[in-house]
Amino acid sequence: MTASILAAPEITGADFLKFRDFFYRKTGIYFEESKRYFVDKRLVERIEATGADNFRAYFVALRFETTGAELQQLVNAMTVNETYFFREHYQFDCMVNSMLGEIVARKRPGERVRIWSVPSSTGEEPYTIAMYLLERWPLIDTYDVEIISSDIDTQVLKAAEHGVYSKRSVANLPRAYLNKYFTPNGQDGYVISRDLVNAVEFSHANLTDATDMQRFRNIDLVFCRNLLIYFDDVSRRVAAEAIFDALNPGGFLCLGHSESMSRISSLYSVRRFPDAMVYQKPIPKDNK
Amino acid sequence: MALRRSSAAAESREIVERQYPRDDRGLIAQLCDSRPEVRRHAVRDLAAHADAALVLGERLGVETEPSVREALFTALSMHPSEAAAGTLLALLRAEDAGLRNGAIEALGAMPAAVGPHITALLGDPDSDVRIFTVNLLIDLRHAQVAQWLLQVLQGETHVNVVAAAIEVLAEVGTRAELPALRAARERFSDDVFIGFATDIAIERIEAE
Repeated sequence: MTASILAAPEITGADFLKFRDFFYRKTGIYFEESKRYFVDKRLVERIEATGADNFRAYFVALRFETTGAELQQLVNAMTVNETYFFREHYQFDCMVNSMLGEIVARKRPGERVRIWSVPSSTGEEPYTIAMYLLERWPLIDTYDVEIISSDIDTQVLKAAEHGVYSKRSVANLPRAYLNKYFTPNGQDGYVISRDLVNAVEFSHANLTDATDMQRFRNIDLVFCRNLLIYFDDVSRRVAAEAIFDALNPGGFLCLGHSESMSRISSLYSVRRFPDAMVYQKPIPKDNK
Repeated sequence: MALRRSSAAAESREIVERQYPRDDRGLIAQLCDSRPEVRRHAVRDLAAHADAALVLGERLGVETEPSVREALFTALSMHPSEAAAGTLLALLRAEDAGLRNGAIEALGAMPAAVGPHITALLGDPDSDVRIFTVNLLIDLRHAQVAQWLLQVLQGETHVNVVAAAIEVLAEVGTRAELPALRAARERFSDDVFIGFATDIAIERIEAE
């Protein structure tokens, strides 16, 4: 074999710019120059995996493939699918510091606040929401709060209700929370308290299934993070519409940090709070 | 604790009163309801009916509520049929920019249905329709995109249509299109913007 056969495909500066523009338009994810190494590495991996001769051949195939399958592979490679307690915690800070205040301003004391975490994955997000509410929201005893959490994968729903977590999964939790809500489970992990498990309603649901989505109404706050990015364009729009219909007027939607609703739908307004930027279902003028 | 687990899923199901049956005729009747949320729900339910494209497309022509329009575009995108493409292509002539942009976006997701219309659209007497067609090409996953852009570079007389094609080629062009880009630059040599745009496109392609 010659050295040229062994050499990895090269990504030039122009290639990077071209790819960055395309990927941003398709996904809303924008890579700064500082991410160049990360992007190049994954591009080279996909070029090699698809057998393309070089970046140009790969990019043309990516641009014009009719199924969108390779774009999806690339999205998977460019995004990190990992869940843990307190992930992207600034949005939970925003929940207790800003969003809930606006939500309950439209409710009477004792009325129900409904929060939906989708996808539930193995439960880290809905349980984080529960802990935040119990520990950091002073009005928790004034309102009933219902946390519902859904996933299309029944295996992860079972795991969520089982509530056993690795040390890595709880690494970002404040020590006091770990002591209060978890019990060590041998050498390797922790079991979450049954009080928290019993506070979350887990259910199987597919965001793009209209029949499934009819069950979800009157929601005040939705966490739908790092999910839509894995959908194709049409499914992403269908999901955005389903969430819109599930939300109460004035309800909020939190997406993952690399996701942008403005790339998907114009249904929502952007709200900038001190802790985070989120999306809001507009309140009809006559309801304000 | 004041966290409550709800077992009353049923209470969250029926929010909007069902004044009409949820069959085709009932849903179509609801498209004219005075309440936007009722119209939205009707559109979303009609999205399950692949043969509803014409009705949904007609509704786009009169619907003014943005949230209902959005649902209509999504519903049409879910069934990329000839009928859906036909009704969306007609909107390229709409005066309303929101309708045009929504149509361009939805059409970009249905290459098989749109492809057979592109050549005719690029020959449309209305230069705006030709520009919108070129705009549509940037997201159209179709093997003939480069060929259509070449057709514009070589035969189009309206400078703004050519400029739109050059912008698309800056992203998708290959060395094969360089002669046509240079020829277009020459053909519009008195237009500063065309010179600027072709230089950028050529620079990007040559850098590969």
